Amino acid sequence: MLFAFPAAALAYDPNVPPMPWASLSPQEQRILGPIASDWERMPGYQQQRLIASARNYPSMQPIQKQRFEERIRTWAAMTPGQRQAARETFQGLRRLPPEKQHELRERWLAEHAARGNGPARPAPPHPPGSR
Amino acid sequence: MNEKDFAAKLKPWLERSAQTLGEIQDTRLKAARLRALDAYREPVRLFGLVTVAEGTAQTIRYSFVQRALLFLPIAALLATLAFQSVQESDVGDIDAQLLTQELPPDAYLDQDFRAWLTKQQD
Repeated sequence: MLFAFPAAALAYDPNVPPMPWASLSPQEQRILGPIASDWERMPGYQQQRLIASARNYPSMQPIQKQRFEERIRTWAAMTPGQRQAARETFQGLRRLPPEKQHELRERWLAEHAARGNGPARPAPPHPPGSR
Repeated sequence: MNEKDFAAKLKPWLERSAQTLGEIQDTRLKAARLRALDAYREPVRLFGLVTVAEGTAQTIRYSFVQRALLFLPIAALLATLAFQSVQESDVGDIDAQLLTQELPPDAYLDQDFRAWLTKQQD
């Protein structure tokens, strides 16, 4: 996971100034294109993480590049509420022991494949932080 | 027989076996390959003298940290707690992870997945 995620090595600094979309390189703009419309609303530190991921993109293996492109398109299609819900569930998963995390991921992948790799079945909306 | 000859002979057998795999096995193999790629580390130069595997370098670094922890347990504990609380609040960090993780971001919205997670947390 760390390979695909050099952004984790960045220090968290909520005071990082936002970067205008125009200041990104053409390659970064192409990679982060699906979330361009959200860019100006993101805080600087969040932009910084995504830029780090985009800079790592050229060194990814083709299968990892494909995965990144799929993920960013899915992410772009999600509403702010869905993204927040996904973050909360992801954080909940990270609190489990590694073997339990692995078990849940494997279980979802197996069920997802059995369902024919269709889209995930969304859970009914819930107020953020209600879990 | 060198490595290339061996690989050339083995390839048709593996391809034939791969055709008989079901979709679930195929997905699992793909996931395992991604995990292996994610875990791969380039060898690193240590003190500019010797080249060691990244895992070994990490172990050496860890032993230094362990010694430091012996001398400064309270400071280390406070630093760890502070680091954890920062990690919790770093939305950018979480988003970047969601974009590179094994599961797609919408998996975390899936009702089954959330039900399983809730069950594990109880």
